[in-house]
Parts: sequence; C-alpha cells; structure tokens
Amino acid sequence: MVGFIILAVLSFAAAVGVVAARTPVHSALYLIGNVVTLAVFYLLLNAEFMAAAQVIVYAGAIMVLFLFVVTLLTAGKEERERSEGLPGQRALSGFLAITAGVLLAGVAVRYSAGPSVRPFASGYGSLPAMGRLLWGPGFDYLAVVALMLLTAALAVLVLNRAVDDGRRPAKVKEDPS
Amino acid sequence: MILLSVVITIVKVILLVGILMTGFAYTMLLERRLLGFFQLRLGPNRVGPMGLLQPLADAVKMLTKEDLLPSAADPLVFRLAPVVALFAALAVDAVIPFGAPIHLFGLTISLDIANPGIGLLYVFAFSSLGVYGLVLAGWASQNKYSLLGGVRSSAQLISYELAMGLSVLGILITVGSANLETIVQFQAHHWWFVFTQVIPFLVFFTTAMAETNRIPFDLPEAESELVAGYHTEYSGIRFAMFYMAEYINMITASGMAVTLFFGGWSGWSFLPPIIWFLLKVGAFIFVFIWIRATLPRFRYDRLMNFGWKVLVPLAFVYVLATAALASGAI
Repeated sequence: MVGFIILAVLSFAAAVGVVAARTPVHSALYLIGNVVTLAVFYLLLNAEFMAAAQVIVYAGAIMVLFLFVVTLLTAGKEERERSEGLPGQRALSGFLAITAGVLLAGVAVRYSAGPSVRPFASGYGSLPAMGRLLWGPGFDYLAVVALMLLTAALAVLVLNRAVDDGRRPAKVKEDPS
Repeated sequence: MILLSVVITIVKVILLVGILMTGFAYTMLLERRLLGFFQLRLGPNRVGPMGLLQPLADAVKMLTKEDLLPSAADPLVFRLAPVVALFAALAVDAVIPFGAPIHLFGLTISLDIANPGIGLLYVFAFSSLGVYGLVLAGWASQNKYSLLGGVRSSAQLISYELAMGLSVLGILITVGSANLETIVQFQAHHWWFVFTQVIPFLVFFTTAMAETNRIPFDLPEAESELVAGYHTEYSGIRFAMFYMAEYINMITASGMAVTLFFGGWSGWSFLPPIIWFLLKVGAFIFVFIWIRATLPRFRYDRLMNFGWKVLVPLAFVYVLATAALASGAI
C-alpha cells in the first residue's frame, strides 16, 4: 500500500508535468517518467511481461521517436507558443479529464466493499502465461491487431510513395507560416 | 532470513558496481595500449609498471577539472543526461549470470543480482533506455554538433534495436524461456548457440556494437565530423560518466554475447565457471578493440541501409527457419 501511494504520487506528478511544462522536451521527459511509473504498477500487479513490454515499446521506442522529432523541431529551446492549436481545446480537455476522473471514482466507490477479484494463479502474468493466452484463446484478437498494424504500415508506404522520378519521395510543400 | 537475503543482495550490488567500475578503468587502459600496438606505438606506459596506474591518474585528473555548464544549456537536463546514461548501463548487468550458483556456509548464492523470468526482456528494456542519455545531452547542450549527435544516436538505436531483438528470438524458440540462467543451463547441457545460430550471432554482435556506439558505428560522437557530438560540451566528472557508460556498455554487450551464444559460464571443469565467463568476456572485449583499430566509420546512409535492408531481413529469415524446425514443419 505504501508503495502504491508513492508510485501514485510520482505518476500523478509526472502526468501534471506533461501539461504544465513550458518546454516540449521537458513535457516528453515527464511523459517518460509517467510511462516508467506505469511499468512499476504493472510489476506490482504481478504482470512482469506487461511491465517489460511497457518499457520496451513506450519508453524505449515510441518516446525515443517523440524526442527525436521534438529535439529536432525545438533545437533553439524557444518557449512553447501560447496560442491555442484548436479552438476551445483547453475547455474540452478539462471536461474530458473531469469526466474520466468521475467515472474512475465511481468505479472505486462501487468496488470499495472488498476485493472482488480472485487471487492470481501461480505464474499469472509471466511470459509463458502471456504466450499461452495470446496464442490460445486470444489468437483471434492477435490476428486482427496484426492485420490492422500491417494495413497501417502499408498505408504509410502508399502515402509516401515516390512521385517525381520514381525513386525520391515527393517534396513536402513549404508551410507558409 | 529475509534480512539475510537483503544483505546478500546489497553486497552483490556493491560488488557488481565495483567490478564494473574497475572493469571500465582497465578496459580503457587495455584499449589505449592495444590501439598503441595496433598502430606501431607504445600507448600509455609511464604511470606505474606497464602503465597500470594510468586509470588512477586519469580519475584524479577528471575529478579535479572544472565542471562547465554552457550558458545556453538547460541546466537540469544537462546534468541529468550523463546520470541516465550511466544508470542504464549499470542496471542491465543486474540479470547477467556471472557464474554457476556457489555454495557458501550452507547457503546457495546465485551470481546475479536478480533472476527474473523475463531476463532477456529486462536487458532489452534497460539497454533501450540508455539512448536517452545521449539524446538529452545532445539537446541540452544547445550546440548544433551535439544536437546532431543526439539525433543520430536515437535514429541508430531505433533501427538496430529491431534487428537485435529478432536475432535472439531463435534462442527463445529453442530454449522456451527468456530467463538468462535457463538459457545458460541449456547451453551447458546441449550445445552453444553460436554453432546452430551463426547468422543471428553475427547480427547480434553487429547490432551490439552499434548500440554501444563503438567504431565503426560511432556516428553520434564522430570526432572528425561532429567534434565529439553529444558530449562536446561536457567536462570533468560528467564527461567521465559518458565514458564509463560507453565502456560498461561494451562489457555488458560482451557479457550478453557470451551468455546468449557462447554458453555463459559453462566450460571444462579445470577452471571455475566464473573464470570461464570472465575469459570469454575478455576475448569479446579484445575483438571489440580489434575491430575499432581495423574499420573506418560508416557513412550515415549506409548505416541505415545496412540496418534495415541487410540485418533485419537476415535475422527475420533465420527466425522463421528456426520456428519451422522447432515446430516440426520441415
């Protein structure tokens, strides 16, 4: 319980940092912190494979790509522009956050009477158990997700296909702003 | 009993960090002396017998240098970056089994700090975090060369990590476990994987060299183009931390290659297992240095082409073949 509270505070602080930080690279760093605390949550829940996958995929690959783009674009370390991207995005995001918070609180109150989950079977969440689940009863979902990702990858290739001489990618128009 | 195991773990952590730090210092000396011999000169041989006290002199020098902070730099991230790099480098070694479990005063002590079922995934998780040190250092320095170095390192890591992951899948299929101790035991009782997985071993070794940013893959620091890249602006102890991370990464990569493909601590019984492990790791470190003294640096586009068009397909085809063999389809 103590570990949970410490982790929750860290995770919450990192999440607030993502929106509150003025420099995009700092936001990305807070997001990495948040991702890593989530991985430790998974570890506490006996899901060691999920924890490793979380770090490898999110912290190790996706956030590296994020940082790649952010460091390139904000090389001069200017402060983020204060103007809003979408009209009313702050109000909308606030509304969504409050709704999600209320829903989560509702779940917490509803199940506060006591543990309604069964204790873990031995080996639950380990790599072999995950493998048996994914390639056994969960295989249909796995196949659908694989198909979806393949489609997305092909779409990227099609959208970036060569236009001018058949070898080079099409030139991106200069943004007038 | 719990207290005892906690104490044992703490002692093991301190020992491991001590060994790795000493290993870093003497790997560096070995590299400088060997490079000297490769280039028909002597290398550092003045401090102590055969230059053996050179690391001590270097340490004193590094610790007494001024700790510079560029005026345009982001102070927090600038100071954080070398810590991240060194932490990730040290953390990976926690799961590598350095020897067979030893029996001491009626206790069985395994020669790794932790032995999780997801050992191999743990290694990949922490080795992929090491790149943050480089990227953040490059960005926080606010120097165009540093930034280019950081950007290069992230692109390089993303490209080569994939091939590295694919190259060890064959071992997972054959052993049926990601636990490093189980993988070593399997090799001790059956065969070393370097004999059945030759191509994956070569892919793994190449990608490991790329992930440790060693020549010929040292594009993030490329002193002739980028003026040392991501660590241009660093001095004193923070500069030394980047060097520690690089050399400890080299030791780790050697240790992983030995664990996965060369039977870990297994060997003939006239030497204790830990000595076999250290001998094999030493041989790998020598090969790393040898390659550095032999090959020129890759050009950037060739690095990317090599990673995506040669290493990934090679590793992938071999995984398919291993899977087909293991499932009895062939």
